Amino acid sequence: MQAVNIQPAKAAEEVLTAQRKLAAALNTLRSMDDVDFGVTAKEEIYREDKVVVYRFRGERAPTAKVPILIVYALVNRPYMVDLQDDRSLVKNLLAKGEDVYLVDWGYPDGADRWLTLDDYINGYIARAVDAVARHRRVRKINLLGICQGGAFSLCFAALHPHKVQNLITMVTPVDFQTPDNMLSNWVQKLDIDLFVDTLGNVPADLMNLCYLMLKPVRLNQQKYIGLVDILDNKVEMENFLRMEKWIFDSPDQAGEAFRQFLKDFYQGNKLIKGGLKIGDREVHLGNVTMPVLNVFAEQDHLVPPNASRVLADHVGTKDYTQVAFRGGHIGIYVSGRAQREVPSAIHDWLAART
Amino acid sequence: MSEAFFSDATRQWQTLMQQSAGPWAELMRANAQPPTAFEQWTTMFGGGGTPTETIQRFVQGARDYLAFLQSGITAGGANADGMTGWVEPLKRMFAAPDGMAGAFEHPFAKLWPGSAAGANPFALGVPGFGQAATPDLRDLKSWLTLPTFGPAREHQVSQQQAALAWLDYQQQIQRHNELMMRAAKRGFEVFEGKLAEREQPGRQIESLRALYDLWVDAIEEAYADIALSQEYREVYGELVNAQMRVRANVQKEVERLSGDLGMPTRSEVDSIGQRLQAVRREVRNLRGGDALIDEVANLRGELEALAQAAVKQALGERALMPSAVAKGQSETAGPAARRVRTAASKKPVPKKPLPRRAAAAASGGFATRIAQFADASLGGKRKARGDKAAPAKSSRGAKAATNPRGQRARS
Repeated sequence: MQAVNIQPAKAAEEVLTAQRKLAAALNTLRSMDDVDFGVTAKEEIYREDKVVVYRFRGERAPTAKVPILIVYALVNRPYMVDLQDDRSLVKNLLAKGEDVYLVDWGYPDGADRWLTLDDYINGYIARAVDAVARHRRVRKINLLGICQGGAFSLCFAALHPHKVQNLITMVTPVDFQTPDNMLSNWVQKLDIDLFVDTLGNVPADLMNLCYLMLKPVRLNQQKYIGLVDILDNKVEMENFLRMEKWIFDSPDQAGEAFRQFLKDFYQGNKLIKGGLKIGDREVHLGNVTMPVLNVFAEQDHLVPPNASRVLADHVGTKDYTQVAFRGGHIGIYVSGRAQREVPSAIHDWLAART
Repeated sequence: MSEAFFSDATRQWQTLMQQSAGPWAELMRANAQPPTAFEQWTTMFGGGGTPTETIQRFVQGARDYLAFLQSGITAGGANADGMTGWVEPLKRMFAAPDGMAGAFEHPFAKLWPGSAAGANPFALGVPGFGQAATPDLRDLKSWLTLPTFGPAREHQVSQQQAALAWLDYQQQIQRHNELMMRAAKRGFEVFEGKLAEREQPGRQIESLRALYDLWVDAIEEAYADIALSQEYREVYGELVNAQMRVRANVQKEVERLSGDLGMPTRSEVDSIGQRLQAVRREVRNLRGGDALIDEVANLRGELEALAQAAVKQALGERALMPSAVAKGQSETAGPAARRVRTAASKKPVPKKPLPRRAAAAASGGFATRIAQFADASLGGKRKARGDKAAPAKSSRGAKAATNPRGQRARS
């Protein structure tokens, strides 16, 4: 039997369908406005340099006594957690009565070239946590770290455990040298000092191109071919363009922080091997004694599941919970399943520890 | 790009119509239309305005895909009995100018368009430069390591180093490209293997799109095998390091020229930034650092809580005496007792000092803790940092709105 059994009529129909979609696209794209994002109302409660802490406002007052502070990664913009009305982790958490705050890192420029991980973790995050605690008049808060922000949150929780009531990590790398971690493989032989000394801040475009190289054909071509299927659907096109904007709306990386992150986390894997120092203090995950919820994605090509799972073996808490989400690194925020499963998992877990 | 694309697409379409034979061609001729939609796209995105990156990527993808569809139809007509016919259009699609082979190029090269062979900044000074690594590379390298003399010696050495770095970079690009070609070749082998698996009943490929998706799966699988290998780790690292060395040399020359022209340089700006950041940290530390600020905030909260507790207690004691009497009497007595209560409640509460224990806790406790903390700070003891668990009864929120720490941060 032949492997390919494409009937001529069907093939012709495929071509003509593509043509029709392209014709319809003309009208679709002309009628589209610039995509918006970040749908939930919010107020600024703290600002320092380019860092801003926001509090989101839900449709009803929060019932949770302890607020959640979301710490996003430096490598992308945080509005992924509040992308659009029907794809918003923030909105769903608010609907369940949580009180949600978020750290927005802004866009670092040359003035931020010398910011270190100490400045970020013991500086900005610490003061953001204090600002939220003051704002809600509580002594401890819940910290929700995402991806690189999750690694930062782990460090913060280990260094300042008395400020964290509960820790939630999402798609967070802990073991940076699992065999399936492509990014890690690529950076092992890099001369990071030469790299940062030469580039200063690491350009966002460079970061994005590296991410595209993780799956070059799928991300550079197949994705756009798939676009043909939705060209006549304005709503779907808006969703696509909104996601596209998020993917490429990336900040540059502050040079010194990038240097330490790559050397200590990726090359040294010190978060689990030990010897990681933030400022003048060493990070011991054993000091993470508060309850921990670790959520990771089973099809994550940026942070492989095994890179996250290992957290269970290193934290000092006796109250550790792990949730494996069926989806990818981005799908965990924007997929339909994510809207149903992730906020509920977080809320229920927190509620059980109130 | 778009204009050429649409003329290509139209031409390919016409060629397809002329060359195809059999039932495929008949079907297609019956519905044949030139890709007018693409021409409209040309007008929309390729004419007056600058297309967005998304649109560029989409147009590129759509062009490749349409070419594949058309080639696939041709292949299907010509090679209906074998799988080879389906592989060829995909190979052409991959290798075409601006095709997916470009996606395998190193991202650093893409970010630095002038770095492509033939456009290097040192080509003017070195004969034979600008070409990718050539067989006479050894001669070129030996020429570049000749000793230098005279007043411009240092400059010559610098330029030689820069030229050598560029040569090395070209070699590393070549190594990288070879690996990528190996990935592509392996991808088509994997693809043929996947096609063979589809010969089983119920697993046949029945659309061009499914065929394309299978090819993408195959080529990504092969690419991942290479990209996760130890060999790629080495090659990738060397490539990036080589480009950084080239960049560093270029920057060095720019710095020199900028200095000659009396212009500020990147390294000067960096130095200022570095010192400024160091000063900011020092100022924060001189103020006691975050730990001291935390501790002061904690203590202020504690003080306020204690003061509030003391006031409550004092008020409670004042209120307790008459009301207790009144309550006790009211439960057992008649109008006379009620008169007593009324009279007592109208009487102004006398101002009395705070209870001794609460006042001592409020003032002495704060002062003692401040002194202890100051001693610890001056002694440089780490345990004095605010990282230790705050007292369970502390309530920092009470003074949050006027916390000087927040005000300082905002300034």
